[in-house]
Amino acid sequence: MRPLRLTVNGDTLETAAPAHWTLLEVLRYRLGLTGSKQGCDKGDCGACTVLVDGRPQLACLTLAALAEGHAITTIEGLMPLHVAAGGDGPDPVQGAFDRCGALQCGFCQPGMMLSARALLNRNPCPTRGEIREALSGNLCRCTGYTQIFEAVELAVAESLGVAPAPRAWEEQRMKPAEAQEQARRAAAALAAARERNDGGPGARS
Amino acid sequence: MKSFRFLNPASLDEAIALATAPDAGDARFLAGGQDLLTEMQEHLAEPDRVVNLKSVPGLDRIEAGGGRLRVGALATLVRLEREAAVRARWAALSEAAASVASPQIRSCATLGGNLCQRPRCAYYRIEEARCLKKGGTECFAYGGSNKYSAILGGGPSWIVHPSDLAPALVALDAEIVLRGAGGERRLPLEKFYVLPADGDVTKETVLAPGEVVTEVVVPEPPAGARSTYLKFRERESYDFALAAVAASLVLQDGVVRTARICLGGVAPVPWRAPQAEAALLGRRLDAALAKQAAAAALAGAAPLEQNAFKIPLTKTLVERALLALAR
Amino acid sequence: MKLEPRAVPLQDAPPKRKVKTTQVVNGIETEVEIEVEDVPAGQWPPRASLRVLNHDIPRVDGPVKVSGAARYTHDVRVPGMVWARLLLSPLPRARVAALDLEAARAVPGVVHVLVVEREETGWLGQPVAVVAAETLEAAGDGLRALAARFEPLPWVVDHAAAVREGAPAVGRGANVGRPETDGDEARARAALSASATRVRATYTVPVQHHASLETHGVVVDYRGGEDAVVYCSTQYAQGFAAEAAKELGLKAGNVRGVVEHMGGGFGSKFGLDAQGLYACRIAKELKRPVHLMLDRRAEFLMSGNRSGTSMTIEAGCDAQGSLTGLVAEAWKHGGLGRGSLSGLPYCYKAGAHFRDVRSVRMHLDASRAMRAPGHPQASFGMESILDELAYAAGLDLVEIRRRNAAHPAWVRQLDRVAREIGWDQHPHRTQPGKPDREECIGIGFGISNWGSGGSSDCEAEVRIEKDGSVVVACAAQDLGTGTRMYMAAIAAEEFGLPVAAVTARLGDSRLPTGVASGGSVTTPSVAPAVKDACTRARGAFAAHLAQVLGRSAEGFRFGPDGVRHDGMTERLAWSKACGTLPAEGLSARGKWQESLQTRGVRCTQAAQVAVDPGTGRVRVLHMVCLQEVGLALNRLAVKSQIQGGMIQALGYALGEGRQLDSALGLQLNASFEEYKIPHALEIPRMTTLIDDDDTRNGVAGVGEPPAIPGASAIANAVHNACGARVRELPITPDKVLLALGKVV
Repeated sequence: MRPLRLTVNGDTLETAAPAHWTLLEVLRYRLGLTGSKQGCDKGDCGACTVLVDGRPQLACLTLAALAEGHAITTIEGLMPLHVAAGGDGPDPVQGAFDRCGALQCGFCQPGMMLSARALLNRNPCPTRGEIREALSGNLCRCTGYTQIFEAVELAVAESLGVAPAPRAWEEQRMKPAEAQEQARRAAAALAAARERNDGGPGARS
Repeated sequence: MKSFRFLNPASLDEAIALATAPDAGDARFLAGGQDLLTEMQEHLAEPDRVVNLKSVPGLDRIEAGGGRLRVGALATLVRLEREAAVRARWAALSEAAASVASPQIRSCATLGGNLCQRPRCAYYRIEEARCLKKGGTECFAYGGSNKYSAILGGGPSWIVHPSDLAPALVALDAEIVLRGAGGERRLPLEKFYVLPADGDVTKETVLAPGEVVTEVVVPEPPAGARSTYLKFRERESYDFALAAVAASLVLQDGVVRTARICLGGVAPVPWRAPQAEAALLGRRLDAALAKQAAAAALAGAAPLEQNAFKIPLTKTLVERALLALAR
Repeated sequence: MKLEPRAVPLQDAPPKRKVKTTQVVNGIETEVEIEVEDVPAGQWPPRASLRVLNHDIPRVDGPVKVSGAARYTHDVRVPGMVWARLLLSPLPRARVAALDLEAARAVPGVVHVLVVEREETGWLGQPVAVVAAETLEAAGDGLRALAARFEPLPWVVDHAAAVREGAPAVGRGANVGRPETDGDEARARAALSASATRVRATYTVPVQHHASLETHGVVVDYRGGEDAVVYCSTQYAQGFAAEAAKELGLKAGNVRGVVEHMGGGFGSKFGLDAQGLYACRIAKELKRPVHLMLDRRAEFLMSGNRSGTSMTIEAGCDAQGSLTGLVAEAWKHGGLGRGSLSGLPYCYKAGAHFRDVRSVRMHLDASRAMRAPGHPQASFGMESILDELAYAAGLDLVEIRRRNAAHPAWVRQLDRVAREIGWDQHPHRTQPGKPDREECIGIGFGISNWGSGGSSDCEAEVRIEKDGSVVVACAAQDLGTGTRMYMAAIAAEEFGLPVAAVTARLGDSRLPTGVASGGSVTTPSVAPAVKDACTRARGAFAAHLAQVLGRSAEGFRFGPDGVRHDGMTERLAWSKACGTLPAEGLSARGKWQESLQTRGVRCTQAAQVAVDPGTGRVRVLHMVCLQEVGLALNRLAVKSQIQGGMIQALGYALGEGRQLDSALGLQLNASFEEYKIPHALEIPRMTTLIDDDDTRNGVAGVGEPPAIPGASAIANAVHNACGARVRELPITPDKVLLALGKVV
């Protein structure tokens, strides 16, 4: 047993665990933070993804002892941290996942949303390709991913204050010309935002 | 995971001393842990002592200048992937780093860990299968499932070396620096790896017990040099190479002046292809020459029952990598 | 103010009538005739008038899931709980030679060691022992302390070995099952002989794993006494609770099954299973709660799978492309189980047909239901032979399907899907392309059908409280498909309320009778029952208001603007109307009604792929799915479910499949590293279309049909792109290179 002092979601938590325990074990079996899911225990599924100093990391392949001194964000902390940073309600990623139906069983979602959050922190207006790449370490077996990509895009559009491109599931309700026009405007707005961000601080760490 | 003593040395010398102490038992150095922890989770590694290298300052630098690139063993892959100087001048290295596993793993995984990672062969990874690599008497892949196995340099073990960085760094003519109780030694990265027939079959490198990879030094490529890393996976993300090629060329008016080609995913070590390099030298790089070099690279291939497909696959990759550099 | 009685009872024993329907037992669909109450048939409102349903509705459990607060079985912690882990047979068949029970018991923290197989194991992954301890880790240490030794006994884990003369027997009886035949062989063969074009080929599909993100498992909260609660990751909370009660020796009604949220099942999570059984035994023994979740490796080895199949099909057609005959011989690979294979011909009229299907048993985990059991296998054989026949006869791939489809709906769907995928502009409509460029584009098609209807036992309850809140309840469970949400949405539609004003309760065996969620039966079971309960509650509420307000009960209307009466100009706000209820509110129970469901939902898909003949890489560029759903309750959720089905088919086509080493008796890919399900980068552009030309105004489940034809469409597209006909799934680069003759 060794004492552990972890900074989780902005709080300093003291506990103790054997030296060989992973961060995932400490979160789930010591701290009661069961939002980080245990899907494979060997880094294959991404369900235990947490942020360590803002970077996505697998809690199942991180010794808890090595997480000391770093800022850990779990799914439970996304909303509180957003609020603490002056936001209102859930993190925009959470809101967008909810509204886009980007989840079914929800077991992969905590990890998926943290990967998305890590992406948006360093690249506020990613392309679809960058979103897919950033989420490529998180398995989902229910949704077919498409609505997940759309949710991240919605979160991006909302944070930039531009109207999002119509999601695939909305197109049936829009006239094709109308949908095309909205997609064009959204793409232009995002391109402009990307332009502004290129080389800017935090654009690409 | 079996319990162990977790030690946080303040210096490299202390780390080495802790790992080589008479009472150390089975001691392992921990860097990013992305391979070691999976091995420990699955009881393939059960160290008595884990010596944390992250507590040693200065092992994670990435420094470009003075005619070379120095990368500390603890530099993470995500940094190698994004560092502007590496992207600009050692493209094969940043491309190789970007191709590894998943974003989460690249956040943690280190250069040293990537170079020293253990095989992914399914037989090796299944605890119950006591294969040659784990001290058994047989390479089960040879007569069993060998789709992913070696077609070059195989025998008596047919693993393929899983590292993406190693072929890239060999193509870039890198040198590796090791430190042990007896001091420091430097060797060309190519010489760091040993074929199963040439050494202890349970190991992939010349790393001695208690010895640590401290850094890799890559020479500044000459003017006109270009490099690339082309990796082919069964699945586009989170997968190891079925075959890969790293190539570094200097072209003058379309004519190849220097060439280094190293294959990944096809041999128990990063597999240098000197015949292919020779075929290129002094000649104008066009589609026909690329094809010829690709054939030369695979000339000695000896596939097993299920992996002859790697020959045409790897040839395609060599051709495409060369042509990409010629464009 | 005169008050109505608290609950409106169901009518006394109304007359019964018989109806035919399809029911699903553990995921397998079966035609049955059932008796239902002969009551006036309920109807859904006309689609155009729907305000909530048939729209995109964010899920009611979205917020709890995105916040990480949703509690899955794995997350359940109860006081005094012990943690249990399983020791599995590492070999397909072995003598249990040594188990050091004393050493395991001596591990600090270990509280119980249960040996469940002392003599001989008969399948790879069969549980042998269970160790329970104060911590999960101690349980794991206990397993290792058992130092189990197994002596191999002869086994069979592949088809060839199982059918060989003198092969080790798998259980009792022959390794090859009795033939299941259908059709007239002589007629079918004669038809084939007379056909203008005929082709014959053998197709093989591997064993596919469900690969739910949450593994199987249970928390049995029993501390002695008469009652227990079982938290379970299950597709059937009530069935699970009943089985657990039997094991615990308790009255069925005293065991409550709870599944608040569960991380996917896809047909693998119906029963108590080995882990549930052992958790109950240990809980009973220790009188302490037990937490037993499978780890990922155990999940692959012992939690069921989709059976593999090998099938040889011969088919012929006339000069116009009408099928004249089909003969199929097939073997199912379901491990200890019988496996499943849907009928061949599949979804097409084939003229005279004959089939002979047998199961081949092996020392491996028994197959279970998995998303449309038997259908993807049959579809792969059927759609493949159809393409091969079309090419042999020089026919258009869409035309041969239009001509032979067994139902006109597929003709309509094929036209639309062909348009969406760009068939008219595609250069290879009657002959495959050549491997003459780095990116060879191909298109393939597939169709499917699923006939399931709901369960006539399903019931639901609606309660309207005096404060205006509404609770809908049914014991069914939400696998993530959105059951909770449409329960709330139906009530919202019926009472003119926002969805957020309704609370849906499910996943609790004590609620009104639900249904086992498999075979797409949940929606056609639960939604009618909820709708019926709402109709009855409205009736009761109207009767109550009629007395309060002195108006006729028939005239009341419930809408977003409140409660109206045909004879009144003013409106009564919902909350005000509810305020007139007695303190205990009002409740009504509803039952399943046949008239509210739709049976037989058809699906057509197309896939466009790019094949790189230099590497054998197949990239799926675009998939189109047009799916009949009857009345879509929530279009957003339906599309998500359709896309999930398409992606499971994509995995089946290109990456998934159990790999074994027959000699060593090992599964080589019992992890997400080697068992390759699709990641974000493999996902194509997806055009997901709800077939609004299906105007049947009843509800259907669509878990199954969209998971069926995608693999067939992708395999056909690979062939269409470059001429590489890979007849064995998954279509990995090595097989493509081999089919192209690149491997020498």
